[in-house]
Amino acid sequence: MKGKMEQAAGLLRDSGPNVKLSIVIMGGGQFKYGARGKGILFFLIQLSVLYYFITRGFADIAGFFTLGTKKGDAWLGVTGDNSVVMLLMGIFAWLVLAAFLYLYAMNIGDAYRMKKRLEQGRRILTLREEAMQLWDKKFYVTVLILPVAGVFVFNVLPIIFMILIAFTNYGGTVVPPELVDWVGAANFVKLLSLSQFAPTFVKILGWNLLWAVAATVLNYFAGLGLALLLDKDCVKGKAFWRMFPVLAYAIPGFITLLAFKFMFSYGGPVNQLITAGGGAAIGFLDLDAKWTARLIGIVVNCWISTPSIMLLATGILSNRDISLYEAARIDGAGKWKQFLRITMPFVLFSTLPVLIGQFVGNFNNFGIFYFLRGGLYMDGYFLASDTDLLINWLYNLSINNNYYCLGAAISLVIFVITSIISLTVYIKSPSYREEDTFR
Amino acid sequence: MRTKQNKREDLSMSEKHSMSEEHSMSEEHSMSEEHSTSKEYSISVIHALGRIFDTGITYIILLAVSFLFFFPCLWLILASFSESGTIYSFNGFFPKAYSLASFQRLFTDIAMYNYPRWFANTLFVAAGSCILGTFLVILTAYTMSRFEFRARKPIMKTTMVLSMFPSFMGMIVVYLLMTQFNLINHLWGLILIYSAGAPMGYLTQKGFFDTIPRAIDEAARIDGATNFQVFTKINLPLSRPIIVYTLLTSFTWPWSDFILPKLLLKEKNLYTVAVGLMSLDETEFARFAAGSVFIAVPIVLLYFVLVKNMVKGMAQGAVKG
Amino acid sequence: MKKRKAIILSLMLTGVLGLAAGCGNADAAKDRTAETGVSVKDKETPKTIQSSGAFTGELEHNVTIRVLENDTAIARGYAKELLEAFNEAYAEYGITAVDANMDQYLDLANDGPYGYGPDVLYQANDIIMQYAQGKHVYPLPVQDMECYEQIPEAAWKAYETEVDGNLYYCGVPVNVQAPMLYYRKDMLPANWETDWDKDGNGICDITENWNDLYAFSIARHEENPLNYGYMKALYDVYFSGGFLFSYGGYIFGDNNTDPEDIGFSAAEAEKGAWVLAQLAGAMNEECIDNTINTTCYGKIADGTYFATLSTPDVYSTFLEELVKSYKSEGMDEEKATELAKENMVMSPVPKLPESGDLSEENPVWMDSKSMGGVNGYAVSAYTKAPNACLAFVEFASGYEMMKLRNELLGVAPARADAAEVSGDVSRRLFENLEKGNIILMPSIREVAQIWTPGETFFTDIAKDAFRKTEEKKYQDLPAMKKGLEQVDSQIHNAIFTLK
Repeated sequence: MKGKMEQAAGLLRDSGPNVKLSIVIMGGGQFKYGARGKGILFFLIQLSVLYYFITRGFADIAGFFTLGTKKGDAWLGVTGDNSVVMLLMGIFAWLVLAAFLYLYAMNIGDAYRMKKRLEQGRRILTLREEAMQLWDKKFYVTVLILPVAGVFVFNVLPIIFMILIAFTNYGGTVVPPELVDWVGAANFVKLLSLSQFAPTFVKILGWNLLWAVAATVLNYFAGLGLALLLDKDCVKGKAFWRMFPVLAYAIPGFITLLAFKFMFSYGGPVNQLITAGGGAAIGFLDLDAKWTARLIGIVVNCWISTPSIMLLATGILSNRDISLYEAARIDGAGKWKQFLRITMPFVLFSTLPVLIGQFVGNFNNFGIFYFLRGGLYMDGYFLASDTDLLINWLYNLSINNNYYCLGAAISLVIFVITSIISLTVYIKSPSYREEDTFR
Repeated sequence: MRTKQNKREDLSMSEKHSMSEEHSMSEEHSMSEEHSTSKEYSISVIHALGRIFDTGITYIILLAVSFLFFFPCLWLILASFSESGTIYSFNGFFPKAYSLASFQRLFTDIAMYNYPRWFANTLFVAAGSCILGTFLVILTAYTMSRFEFRARKPIMKTTMVLSMFPSFMGMIVVYLLMTQFNLINHLWGLILIYSAGAPMGYLTQKGFFDTIPRAIDEAARIDGATNFQVFTKINLPLSRPIIVYTLLTSFTWPWSDFILPKLLLKEKNLYTVAVGLMSLDETEFARFAAGSVFIAVPIVLLYFVLVKNMVKGMAQGAVKG
Repeated sequence: MKKRKAIILSLMLTGVLGLAAGCGNADAAKDRTAETGVSVKDKETPKTIQSSGAFTGELEHNVTIRVLENDTAIARGYAKELLEAFNEAYAEYGITAVDANMDQYLDLANDGPYGYGPDVLYQANDIIMQYAQGKHVYPLPVQDMECYEQIPEAAWKAYETEVDGNLYYCGVPVNVQAPMLYYRKDMLPANWETDWDKDGNGICDITENWNDLYAFSIARHEENPLNYGYMKALYDVYFSGGFLFSYGGYIFGDNNTDPEDIGFSAAEAEKGAWVLAQLAGAMNEECIDNTINTTCYGKIADGTYFATLSTPDVYSTFLEELVKSYKSEGMDEEKATELAKENMVMSPVPKLPESGDLSEENPVWMDSKSMGGVNGYAVSAYTKAPNACLAFVEFASGYEMMKLRNELLGVAPARADAAEVSGDVSRRLFENLEKGNIILMPSIREVAQIWTPGETFFTDIAKDAFRKTEEKKYQDLPAMKKGLEQVDSQIHNAIFTLK
C-alpha cells in the first residue's frame, strides 16, 4: 500500500504540465499532445458525468442514505418518496461514480503513457490505430464490453440491491409508500436469536444436500450415459432416437410438473389403473408419503433435466480426439478401459462447470416440490414440509409474508454457504487450474 | 506465455506416448497368440457374437429409455386430442374417443384466450433472445477461453459466485429497473433481459472451447490473421455442436419461463404462451393440454433443423491438433 | 374455488410481484386504523362518511378508462355489453371505457404506481380492502350514489374502513359469493316426497341437512360402488372452514381484524372437523387432493357424483357440462338445455346437527356457516380520471346492468331490486349474510398465512378416513381439537416469527 502511494507520488513528480492538465480537465493533455479526437472524447465523458451528477446524481446519492423523507398518501393527493426506487437510483449513482473514477484514472494513465512515448521518441498513436488495436490485440476488451455491461445491469445490480436490502427494514408493513430505513445487522441478529429454527434447518439442510447430490449425480450420469449410448457406432438413426428426450425437453418444466402431479394424484391415471385392478388408491404425493414423494421428485427432476445434459454431452463428445481411441484400440484396451481412461476425464474436464451449475441449480430448485407437493406443513418441521428444500422454506418464511429484508438476509446466508462450497470445488478443479489439458 | 503452453502440450503428448507404449508392452503377449489362424477365426466369431449381443442390449436400453421419455409426452399429446376435452373421462391412461376439437378451439376461439397471439409473441421473444443470447455467450466463452488478461480469473470466479444467488430475490429489482427504463409491456424488454443474462452461463461453452487445440490459432496468428478472423474462420466452424446446443437452450428458455414475462407483461395480448396457459380458467383443461402440447412444436422443429450440425465438430473436422 | 386456485398456482408470483410495493402497507394502515379506532370509541364522536377529494363531480372529458372485469364476465360476454352500454351513454363526454386486458388477479399495489394498473377494478372485498389499507384505491362518495339505498348494509360493511375517526367505503358491492350446494334433481330417489321429506316442506331433506345427505351418499355408493353422493375436495379451506365456523370457530378475533387471536380451534370447532371426517368416509380417496376441483363438473354431469359445494359464479359451467352430457345421450340442444336447467340445482348449504353426529336420529338443527365474499367495484388511486371512473362504477351498479349480470353469469346481485327479480338464491344468500351465516374473508394481510396450515389439517382429516384403524390420527374429538390447536399455532408462528 505504502509502496503504491510512493509510486503514485513519483509518477506525479514525473508528470509534465500536459499530464497535470489531464488531471484537471479530462482529455486536456491528450488534446495538447495532438490526440484531439481522444481528448475531446475524454472531455465529453467528463462533461456528461458532471451533468448527470448536477441534475440528479448528487440527489440520488443523498437518497441512498436517507431512503426518502416524504411519505406519500394517495387519498390526500400527496406524492411521496419511493424508498425502493431511491435505493436503486442511489446504487446506480455509485456505479456511475465508480465508472467515472476508473475512466478518470485511465485518462491520467493515458496522458502519462503519451508523455513517455514522446520521451522515448515514438509517435503517438492515432485514434484509428488505437481502435484497430482494440479490434485485434485487445479483441477481448471489445468483445466483453457488451456482455459485461448486460450482466452488470441485470445480474450484479440486483444482487447488490438484495444484499443492501438485507440491512434495511424493507418488507412486511414497510413497503412504499411507507418509508424504508437502514437497520444495520438487525435482520441477522433476529435470525440468530430464533430458537425454533435450528432443528428444522438441520433437517432441511440434510435433505437438501442429499437431494442436490442425488439429483445431480443421477441427472449427470443419465445424460452422459444416454449421449454415449447414442454415440455408439451400432446405433442407426441417431437423430430419431435422440428425438424422444428432445420431446421431453421441449415441454416446459412447469407443465411437466403439473402433468406428473396429476398422474400420481388420487384421481390420476396411475391410481385409476390400480383401483380398476381392485387395489386401493395410493397417495404417492400426499402428506404421509415422505419417501415416495421424494423419490418421485428425484425421478421427475431427472426426466426434466437429462435431455439437456444429453444434448450438451453429445456436443462435447463429438469434439473428442478420435486418434486417442484408435491408439488405445491398437493397444488392446477394452471398451470399459477406454471409457474410464479417455472418455470420462475428457467429459468431466469440459463439463465440470456444468456439473457445479447443476448442483447449484438442484440445490436451489424451487419449482419441483412447489409444484409437485406444495401447501403442506408437517409435524416436526417449523413451517415446512418434509420435501421442502431450503429455498422453499425461505419462501414460506419470508417472501410469502413479504418480509423481503429477512428473505434477503436468509438468502445471503445460503448464498455464502453454497458459493464457498462450489467456489472451492471449482478453483481446485482441473477445468479451472489446467484449462489447457486438452488443447 | 506461448512457450509455456507449447511445453505443456509437448508434455502431454509425451505422456500419451509413454502411456500407449506401456500398453503395447503389456499386451504384446496376447497379440502374439493371435497369429495362429484357427484361433483368429474363433476369436472373430466371438467378436461378432459379442457385437450382436452388444447391439441388442444397446437397442433394448434405447427402447426402454425412449419409452420412458415418450410415454408421458404421448399421454399429454393424446389428452389434447381427447374428445371430451378433459383427462378425467379416461380409461386409465388414454382417452375413450379422439377429436381435433381442442386444437380447433385453441386457434379459433380466441376472444378470451388468444393463443395464436401468445404463440407469435413467444416466437418473437424466443427468436430474438436466442440469436442475441447465443451471440453474446459464444463470444464471451470464446474470449474467456482464448485470451489471457488480468481480469480473467477474477471474472471467472465472480460469475461462478454470482450464478449462485437465488434468482427470485433479484426479480424485484428487475421489475423496478424495467419500470424505470419504461420497458414494461414491451416484448423487447424481455429479449433484453434474456440476452443480457445469457453470458452468465458461459462456463458450459468455455468448457467446450477449452478442448479445441490452440495450435491452429497460433499458426493462423503467425500467418497474419487477426484475432477476429481466427475466431470466425477457424474456431466458429469447429464449434458447431456447442452453438447448436446454445441456440436450442436459449430458444427453449423463453418458451418455458413464466416468472419474468408474468412480471413484465401486463397486457393479455402481450402474454407469452407460458403466462397465457397459467392464466387459463380451471375449467379450460382441454385448452391447457392442447396449448402445452403445441408449445413443443417449434422446439422439436428447431431440433430437426439443427440436428445435422449437432455432432459435426472435431470428429469430422479438417484440422487435428 | 377459483380464488384459491389462483393463490395456489401463483403463490410464487404473488410473492415476487407483491415485492416492490406490496400489499404490505395494508398492515401499517391497519395498525393505524386499529389505534384510531380505539380512541374514537373512547370519545364516542359520531363518525362521518368521507370520500376522497379527487371526486370533484366534474367529469373528465375525452378520456379512456381501463376496466378490469373478471374472466367469467368477459368469457360470457357480460363485460362487452357493459362497456358498450356505458360508452354509448357517455359518448357525449368523450369517455370511453375499455377492457383493461390484464390478468384478473392483478397486483395494483405494485403496478398502479408505475401506471400499469387498471382504473376501475372488479375484485373480492378482501382484496379491495387490502388495497384500501395501502391507499391504493379511493374511498368513494357512496352516499351520493344511486345504488346506496338498494344495497343492504351487510354488503356495504364489507367495504367499510375507519381511518382517523372517519368512515370510508372503498368499493361498491356487486354480488355475493358464498358456497352453494349443487345437486342433480333427477337423481334424487324417486320416492323422496314420501321417504325423504320428514318436515313435509316440499324440499327434499337430502338437500336440506347434512345427515340425510350423508345417509343418501352411503346408500347411493352401496347401490353402485362406482357412484358417490356428496363429493368435495376437503383440503380446501375456503369450503371446509365453514364447518369449523358453524361450531364456533373463527379465523381472526375481533371481527377478523386481530391476527393475534386465531380461532380455528375455538369453541366446539372440532365438531366441524368431525363432520368433515364423517363425510370423507362416504367419499373415495380423491377427496384428499385437488382432483375433484376439476373433475366435479363432468362427474356431476355424468351422474358419478350427486352433489358438491361450489360458488354461484360457476353455475354456468355445471350447466354447460350437463347439457353436453344430455346431448351425448341423444337429446337435441334445446331439450338438453331445458332439462339441464331444471335438473342442475343450486341451493343453500344444508343444515348441520348441533351434536356434529351425522348419523344421529332426530338431531337439533342449526344453520351452516360458510366463508364468503362480496365482490365489487373499486377505483384505483392511480387513475387520471377519477370522476369518469366513478361514473362508470355508478353505471355498472345500476339496476339494468346488475340484472343483466345476474342473467348472464348466474351470480347473486347485491342490489335488492335486482335480487328480487333474480329469484330465491340471491334472497337467501342475503339473508344469510345479514344473519351472519356468511363469514366474510378477512381483509387483513395476515390472511395469507391461514391456507397452508389449514390445508394440511383438512388433508390429514380426509386422509384419516382411509388410514387403517390402528394408524388413525384423529380417533376422537379431543384429537381433532388438538389438531386444530396445532393449526392455530402454526398460523401464529407463520405470522409472528419473523415480524
